[in-house]
Formats: sequence, structure tokens, C-alpha cells
Amino acid sequence: MKKYAMVVDSSVCIDCKGCMVSCKVQNNVPRGYWRNWIKQTTPDFSLGKLTRTHFQPGGCMQCDVPTCVQACPSGATFKDQETGIVHVNESLCIGCGKCVRACPYGARFRHPEKRVPDKCDFCFSAGRLAQGIPPACVDTCPTKARVFGDLNDPDSEVSRLLRDNHTVRVTSANIDTQPNIFYLAATEPANWPGDVEFPQSFSVMASLVNPLVKVAVGLSALGVAGMWAKQAFAPDSEDDEQGPEASHPEPTVSKQD
Amino acid sequence: MDETMKTLSRRNFLKASAAAMTTAAGVPALKGLVSTGHAAAPAPQAGPITDHFTACDMCFNRCGMIARVQNGRVIKLDPNPKFLKSRGMLCARGNAATAHIYDPDRLKHPLLRKGARGEGKWQRITWDQALDHAAEQFERIAEKYTRCGVMFSPGSDMQSQFLIRFAEVFGSYNITSHETLCLLSLHRAYLDTFGETPYPDVLYSKYIIISGANPYEAIITPDTIDLMEARKNGCKLVVLDPRYTKTAALADEWYAIRPHTDMAFFLALAHVIIHEGLYDQQYAEEMLFGLDELRAHVRKYTPEWAAGETGIPADDIRRIARELAAAAPTSMVYTGRRTSDYEDSTQIRRSMAIVNALLANWDRPGGILAAREVGVRAPYFDIPWYDDNPDDRIDYGMAPGLIHHEGSYKLMRDAIIKGEPYPIRGWFTFKTNFMQTAANRNKTIEMLDHLDFIVNADIAMTDTAWYSDLLLPSPSFLERNDPVSALQGSSACACAIWRDAVVPAMYESRDMLWICTELSKRLGFPETFDFDIHQYREWQLAGIPEAAQAIKEDGVYYNPSKVYGIYADSPLRTQAQKIELFNQRYANMGLDPMPVYKPPRPTEGKFRMVVGRTAFFTHSNTNNALLIEFEEENTLWIHPEPATRMGLRDGERVFVTSDVAQVELALKFFEGIEKETVYMATGFGALSPGQRLVHNRGASIAEVLEDHADYITGNMAMHETLVTVSRKVG
Ligand code: SF4
Ligand code: SF4
Ligand code: SF4
Repeated sequence: MKKYAMVVDSSVCIDCKGCMVSCKVQNNVPRGYWRNWIKQTTPDFSLGKLTRTHFQPGGCMQCDVPTCVQACPSGATFKDQETGIVHVNESLCIGCGKCVRACPYGARFRHPEKRVPDKCDFCFSAGRLAQGIPPACVDTCPTKARVFGDLNDPDSEVSRLLRDNHTVRVTSANIDTQPNIFYLAATEPANWPGDVEFPQSFSVMASLVNPLVKVAVGLSALGVAGMWAKQAFAPDSEDDEQGPEASHPEPTVSKQD
Repeated sequence: MDETMKTLSRRNFLKASAAAMTTAAGVPALKGLVSTGHAAAPAPQAGPITDHFTACDMCFNRCGMIARVQNGRVIKLDPNPKFLKSRGMLCARGNAATAHIYDPDRLKHPLLRKGARGEGKWQRITWDQALDHAAEQFERIAEKYTRCGVMFSPGSDMQSQFLIRFAEVFGSYNITSHETLCLLSLHRAYLDTFGETPYPDVLYSKYIIISGANPYEAIITPDTIDLMEARKNGCKLVVLDPRYTKTAALADEWYAIRPHTDMAFFLALAHVIIHEGLYDQQYAEEMLFGLDELRAHVRKYTPEWAAGETGIPADDIRRIARELAAAAPTSMVYTGRRTSDYEDSTQIRRSMAIVNALLANWDRPGGILAAREVGVRAPYFDIPWYDDNPDDRIDYGMAPGLIHHEGSYKLMRDAIIKGEPYPIRGWFTFKTNFMQTAANRNKTIEMLDHLDFIVNADIAMTDTAWYSDLLLPSPSFLERNDPVSALQGSSACACAIWRDAVVPAMYESRDMLWICTELSKRLGFPETFDFDIHQYREWQLAGIPEAAQAIKEDGVYYNPSKVYGIYADSPLRTQAQKIELFNQRYANMGLDPMPVYKPPRPTEGKFRMVVGRTAFFTHSNTNNALLIEFEEENTLWIHPEPATRMGLRDGERVFVTSDVAQVELALKFFEGIEKETVYMATGFGALSPGQRLVHNRGASIAEVLEDHADYITGNMAMHETLVTVSRKVG
């Protein structure tokens, strides 16, 4: 069993956007959408010669408490126990869009043609991990700001980085999603995850049942509601058309544990 | 393991960084990558994936790539981890090369112009017709106006050497390269100080001053990557730039220096280092020529004086000089890019070179390095003599420090328009786009009016192609076999590479070797191109027979040649055989033997326009579906204070007017730009409808830039442009 994670040294990111293009090509991400991003602080020019900008790479956090999984009524979104990666099973997806809203990071978008959610899966479905090559963003990065590996392997680079360094997790205010992207300390900005918009009707059940049960539930009991939701989601809503930068509600206070 | 956000200790930071680099270096290059399925994943595409080494061509850096090909299509480009020059990375542009080769806007067949130039009426013809026509035109021009009546612009491609060979055998001296818009003044300045152009050893440096250049954003390998690595090891970075670039954003200190005052800053550094005795006396004795003259020369250039010119406080200048000297010889003034800036850019670069000389960093770790031995040979060929040719290049003698094999595009263009000293009536351009890269586009168009025949070989319908008479479609770098190319850079590499076609050439595209071979047959010198690419590579590698195998196995060959102390036992290639602080040749030619500061001409309420690069566009390679997403059109950066005073609003469309043109684009308020300076990105506002993503979008900086030139080399001096900004009425 693996637990894939990314440790990001945002202090060395030069905002070249190589990771964004590499990901886009590898995963055929359509125009106007991104699976990963670079956020940045707003420079304060009153600091004169000491004015700085901090660039912070991000993407789906492969959360240990994935609110997207909890919000998904059909079990299409699930956390793979073998790898720790949160996936979307497109054939089970009813297109309700709840996972997109439930992710506090804006990591998901609705694929405009496939009409199902899309997001980073550490290049698993692109076949890179099976071949022993790192995710496209990690591979291409000039400064190797992004480091990828298996936390269950104590000799992996990510394990070593976590052992030897102070790291922080950037998470939402109302629910600690326990993300698996770790930032070496002093990352900025840290106030960008929004609140989890959690669909009440499903929340209790979602947190109780395991993904397999949810599959069954999604296909039967929730089927009717799900089909209705797919209709509702289908017309383009402004929010969901945007990439992660724009699709997100106002940032709220973050919590670092 | 995850703890509350705390400031990371230096020690931990270093460990983390070192670990990160280890991972990077250990990535295996793989063979036969096969896509795997997953229950939840979309069905994998059919067909095995094969991997091929190649080198990127989206800019001139030539980073090592692995192309992943499936069903005859390049589906992904990844970095070659064994490629030290690029340190196992690919930038955004390199990653976007898939959109470059599968660009629907590509030239597909030879085309002959039908209507007026620039009208866009083309007739598809066969290659035979195209080559016959080109040969006929060249012969006609040669007969009437001599062989120098054809100008050649070979671009910076790995196949450019074939066009140069062709031009020389054809008999024209009028070859002009992209360098004439770029680094000529830098070459000249260092040639005249150290005897050659150095490579900065960024990786091992402890203190770096960057003035003008922007390596974190413009990306130059391996400097960009090494600059970050060096800083993890404690190297301090000071940036002078009127614009808050990404390099400025990540520097220890950034000074929004007043444009065109850099020389004042460097002369003041020299002043402090000399007058405070912060240089190595013994080294000075052995290596420096003209220290006493320099001492007298810089006496008046005090930090207090420089503060008034540059806007940088005298205390900072003095402190930086001391810090720089304390770190010497492991410190440097970055030798730089973006040197096509001012009319005295050679002298500005000389002032920087002189500070480097005082730091005693030449040919030493963490300093500036001499070129290394790579071992690639340039195959010999006979250059025939044509009796009726003029004595020299058309721009000969027009600039005292003209670099003979590069020329000066700016001076040549003026000479062609004047028709003096002799007429040029033909132009052969290959993968270079002077219409969008050289200042004053309208003047380039004016020059075209004096030409009878323009042939352009390129992959895309650039503006230069759009105004040509005959278009020859070129394959992309992934579709051809290229000769060996030798690369230098930092202490990382002296290496050799070649490219093999990763996929077959698309459409009717043909490479430059084939074109030159066919033309040489038609023009009566077939023996000049009586070889194939494999034979040519063998000649090139005759001195390093082990290289071919290495290139096949790893995509690159490294020469284990000496890195430091190359000149330990031999004199420098300057007249004094030492580092010339005082340049004797300049004195003889009536030029200032040491850089003399002249204040910038007054802006008189106008703004000075500066050029620059982003990490995702290079010159005119903007017509790329993947990259254009980052910036759909360019804007004019302006400081909100002067703009507001003029009653302008953020985002509104304005006219930007120089002495040579007026363009229109949207304003972008940004506090990170000096108040008398404006900036716009390159590569927009294309005239050619054949570049759909940038045609009439934003504005062309090449159009609005005035065509000044460095008076020593004839290099374009783009930052001399002054513009007014006014509201677009109606
Ligand atoms: S980042 Fe968002 S999409 Fe990714 S696992 Fe967490 S909640 Fe789900
Ligand atoms: S590739 Fe690396 S340096 Fe470039 S933007 Fe991405 S994380 Fe930052
Ligand atoms: S810097 Fe970028 S565009 Fe230039 S050669 Fe390297 S990967 Fe290609």
C-alpha cells in the first residue's frame, strides 16, 4: 500500500508555469481549465528594495478527509486505498457537481465535454506512476519546487523531507481536510481555501458509509435525486466554467495544524 | 510531522533543498512507456509509447528533451534528466512544443505570392517549381547586382550552418543573424576586456548583481536553475531593473533603477572598490591593464554622485560594493542578456566587465568563465572568389566595433533603403522574424520595398513570411535530423548534441540541408552539398569519436575538458594580453578607452519603453494555443501615479506613440515599474492573419520601438525609445 504525497518548497518556485503546461499536455486538460496552479502574494511596494513576491504551487491535495468524497452521492469520487489518490470514476458520476462545490481548494472543475469532474490524480491515469516516472509537473519543474513520493516508504524523498523539516498544511476553516500536499514552512499565501460547501442531506450518510456502499446507494436510492441534479448541473453555470483561480468563493481564514 | 507554520531554519532549508535536487537527478529515463489502465480512469489510448531523445527548439537554449510518441504522434515532451545544461527541466514553452508542431497555422506547401506583398494572395506550387524559381531569382540578382546583392538571415537554428555555408559559397558577405538584435554589445564589451565572451558560473557564486537581465523569468539554462541552487547555498542576489520582474520579486534586494543609468552604478562600484583598496593587489599587478588610468577615471564617480543619477541611495551603493568585494573572487556582475538597450550599450557592458575584472573572478569558480573545449568541428569548405563582388559587407565601416560575421541588421536596413554603398535586392531568411523582433517594423517594410525577391523558410506564417515572395515550409525540430551542435554554459557543461527526427516530417516540409542541396545543384556548385547528415556529423565529431555513442545513449555528450584556469598558462587574447580596463584599441580609434557616463536624454514628459521576456513567450513564438492562455494579449504596464495624473484609468485602451509609430493597447496599472518607464510584452499585434492567436491582438512592440543603435557595434538599442501615452478618443 502506498500513500502518495507531494512536498512543495514554495520558496524556490519562480512562477514559470512549466508545471501547468506539462500537466495540461499530459492530461489533455481543455482550454481555460487547469489541474494545478501557482498562487502568489500581492507585493507590497512600500517595502522598496525589500519588496518580494512568494509563489505557491498547488493542485488537488488528495485529502485524508476528502470533502469531495463525502459530498459525492454516487460514489464516483473515491479515495483509493492502494495509493491514497482521490479519483473520479467517470462511469459512476451522475454529474451533480456537489464535489466541485465541496472542495475548499477549488481543485475540481467540470470537464466541459465529458461533463464530469476533473482534477489532479498525480498523473496516475496518464500512466506515469506505473512507469516509475514522477507526475508531469514534478518532472518538468526547473527548481524542483514540487517533490513527489510515497509517505509509507520511510526512504522516500517526501518522507525524509517531512521528517527533517517543519511543514504546514493549508486547509479550510470549517473542516480540516488533512491534505497530502505539504508545504515547507513559510509558504504563502495560506488564506485561500474557502469554506467547504457541504450538502447537508448527504453529509451524515456520506461520512458514515464506505465508498462501496455509496456506489450502491448512488445507483439506487439516490438515483432519482442524482439524475435531477445532473440536469441542474448541465447548463453552464458561471462558477463552474472557470479554473480554480476564479471558481472559488472569497478566501476565508485558514487553519494550519 | 506537520507542524504549525514556523520560520524554517536555514539548516533545514538547505537539507530540504538538497534532498529535492537529489530526487530530480535520480529520475530514470525510460524506454517503452506503456499507458496503464485503472478501474476509474478513462480508457487508455491504444498503441505503445516510445521515447526519443531530442533537444528543445522553442528558444535558443536547447534543453534536453525526451519525446514520447504514440501512434505516430508526439503526445508529451519531458525533460532529459541526464542533460546537465538544462538540469533536467523543461520550461512552459518547451512543454508547449506539442502545440507548436501540431499548430493548424503551420505552413504546409511551398507558396508563391500572387497579389501585392502583404496582401495574402498565394499560389500553391511544387517544390521543383519553388526551387527553380528561387535559383533563377538569385542568379538574376547576382548578375545584375553582384552576389552580395542577396542578404541572408540564417536564424539561430541547428540547421542555420547549412544556410551560412550556402550563402558563403553563393558569394554573399551579407549575412546577418539574430544576435544583431540581442547580445552583440555584450560580446564586444567582453571581447575588448577579457578577449572572449564569458559564461557566468552562477552555481558556485556567493554574490550576484543582475542589471537588466531577468533569468528567473526569461529563462536561460543553466543559469536560471543554478541561480536558485546557489541561493540555497547562501548566495546573495541584488537586482537592478526599472521593472519588477520575477527575478526582482525573488531577489534579496531590488532597485527600480532609473533607466539608462546602470553605468553610473557600476562606475561607482569601481570607485569604491578601487579607492577603498578592496581589490586583490597582487592579482591586479599580474592581470589588470590600466588600473591607474581607471583609478583616475572613476575618481569623480562617487556613490553620492551615482545616487543622484540612478535613484539608488549612496549608502546602498557603497555597501553593495563592499559586500561584492568581500565575496570576491566568488562574486560577479551577471554578464547578462537584454544588452540591446542603449546607444552606448557596449560601454555600459564594459563598465560591468570592469567591475568583474576588479573582483578577480575571471576563469575562477563562482566567477565568469572562458569557453570550454567541446571538440565539435566545423567541416571545411572552399569559399570561392567572385571578381565583381564589392570589397566588403554592406555595413562595413559603419560601426567601429562591428562584429564581422554578424553585421548589424539596423545598419544594413538603412543601407539597403539608401541603396548605398551598393544595392541589395534579394533576401533569404530562415526561421527568423525580423518584422517582429527588430525595432521599427515600418522601416523593415520600407526595406522590403527595395527588394526584388524575398524567400522565407519557416514553420509558420510569421509577419516576415507574410511579406515574402516565396515560402518554403520547414519541418519542426521534432521532424528532422540535425547536425551536431556544441553547447556551453556555466560550469555545467561543454556538451554536444544532435537531433534525430522523432516523427516524420509533416506536410511537404523540407529541412534546410535538403533545400541547400537542391539549390546548390541548380546554381552550379553541387559539390558544396554532396554529403548526407550522417556523413556531416561524422566530420563534425572526428575529433571526439566517443561522442556519437554517448549522444545515442543519453541524448548528450559531455567533454570532460578543463573548467577553471583555462588561461592559467596562456596570455589573454587582448592587445595587452591582460584584462584591459583601459582599452588601447578604443583609444586609437578615437573611442573612449574607459566607459564615460552620459546621462540619459531627458524624457520630456514622455515615457521610456523597455523590453523584456516572460517565462512563457519567446520573441515571436506567441502564436501557441497552450501558451496564449497565460496572457491573451499584451498590455502597457504603467505606474499608477503618472497615469492617474494624466487622467488615465487602469484597463482603458490607449495610444502609445513614438517617433516611428502609434499603437493601441490596454493599460495595466502596476506599482512595480519605475515612474518614467513603460513596458509591453513582445510577440503580439502580428500583421499576419496566418498567426491567428496574435493577429491584430494587443500591439506589436517591434512597431513602436525606435531604431537606435549602439554606436560601437551597431546592435539595436531598443531602450532609447520614448513614447507618449494618450487616451484613445472615440
Ligand atoms: S483537494 Fe479537493 S478535490 Fe482534492 S481530495 Fe481534497 S477535497 Fe477532494
Ligand atoms: S514548474 Fe516549478 S518553478 Fe515553475 S511554476 Fe511550477 S512549481 Fe514553480
Ligand atoms: S528554456 Fe524552455 S523553450 Fe528554451 S530550450 Fe529550454 S525548455 Fe525549450
